[in-house]
Amino acid sequence: MSSQQERKSVLESLMFVWGDPLSAKEAAEVLNIAPKEAYTCFKELQQEYLERGCGIQIREINKKFQFCTKAENSSYIERFCTPVKEKRLSQSAMEVLAIIAYKQPVTRGEIESVRGIRCERVIEGLQKKGLIQEVGRSAAIGRPILYGTTDVFLQHFDLESIQDLPEIEDIEAVIQLEGDADQPAFQQISIDLEQK
Amino acid sequence: MAYKVKLDVFEGPFDLLVYLIENAEMNIYDIPVAEITRQYIQYIEDMKRADVAVAGEFMVLAASLIEMKSKMLLPRSSPDDLAGEAEDPRSQLVQKLLEYKKCKAQARFLWECEERAVLRFTKPREDLSVYTKEPDEILNMDLAQFIQAFCAFLEKKQRVEEVERRYAQTQRRRISLETRVEQIKKRMEGTESLRFRDLLEENYGAENVVLTFLSILELVRQKYVDVNQRVNFGEITLTVTGSGGKDEESMQEGAVQ
Repeated sequence: MSSQQERKSVLESLMFVWGDPLSAKEAAEVLNIAPKEAYTCFKELQQEYLERGCGIQIREINKKFQFCTKAENSSYIERFCTPVKEKRLSQSAMEVLAIIAYKQPVTRGEIESVRGIRCERVIEGLQKKGLIQEVGRSAAIGRPILYGTTDVFLQHFDLESIQDLPEIEDIEAVIQLEGDADQPAFQQISIDLEQK
Repeated sequence: MAYKVKLDVFEGPFDLLVYLIENAEMNIYDIPVAEITRQYIQYIEDMKRADVAVAGEFMVLAASLIEMKSKMLLPRSSPDDLAGEAEDPRSQLVQKLLEYKKCKAQARFLWECEERAVLRFTKPREDLSVYTKEPDEILNMDLAQFIQAFCAFLEKKQRVEEVERRYAQTQRRRISLETRVEQIKKRMEGTESLRFRDLLEENYGAENVVLTFLSILELVRQKYVDVNQRVNFGEITLTVTGSGGKDEESMQEGAVQ
């Protein structure tokens, strides 16, 4: 297996047969090359598919690759075979998931302190959906369970990796996002007050 | 069974508080505590009136709002406070609210991602067993598993046999007294005497014993056999009388003829 072109064609076949997201590491073992090389091949393939504008695209999920349809074609697919739409997540589920995604690993207590309300059930539901998983135990009293997101989560939200989540650190930006931000003067004054 | 009714979509006390603050166009850094507490409690009262079970968490926040206001009303006692280093009692709440708002923004981002994600379709994983020549299960089996499987097989066989044995018994139970009588007569042809035990097959059940015994009583009634038992629980011996039964039989035959 020498040329890059050949390697890529092998990876392409493997992805086709596998269906599930195929990890670069496993594919590398098959080809007997370094995982990093396989990853590069996958990335190149992905780029090629994108440039050609194929109806099939390659998407990355946590260093794993999978064929998927082009998002722009979704309406035609729906017209053709009306696929069963997954039920969207509720607002509470989304909030809990957001906290877990951004703060992982995180305990239930921490999640609840952000939302100010118990979320046992929601966590249970998310776990059942496979979007989150237990990733260990905190060293705190009672050794509470720590939660983190899974690859299914990345897949569900079409994210390549957890680093894809934009940092929403800027509190002012949040306020801008949240409210209409039509009282900038008040805001300025209030910051002074707080800093006093 | 109670109905769970959700009137307004507030995902918790913070959600409600954030809504109230935004609705009243208040500044999150300088919340008029008295006013917001009044609105907050008003809302909880409305919920109660609508017969909605108010979650404990809503009450907790109401209590801490009131506590906050009381703290703000208290004169600052220590000189440190006078120096202006005292923490605004509200700052903790503000931090929490900001944190919650951040979480909401993140949730909204995820929601947008989900919107995009549903546009893409993937194939479910293929069933690859068609391509593999030999089933993996057998290849992967170790000795312990194999022994276990064999034991399970033996156990099952035993159970089947047990069932079959019981089934055979029920078959025997269906034999009528008349049939049994005929069987015994046939058995005693050409013999002078027989022990009761000899009439029973190898694995007889209580049913069979009772049926055979009743048949013998019937034969005694027909004067076909004589029955002897020397001691209690002793051997029962049957002797063919050679008279009554046969006479009766021949009489019957004669009648038929």
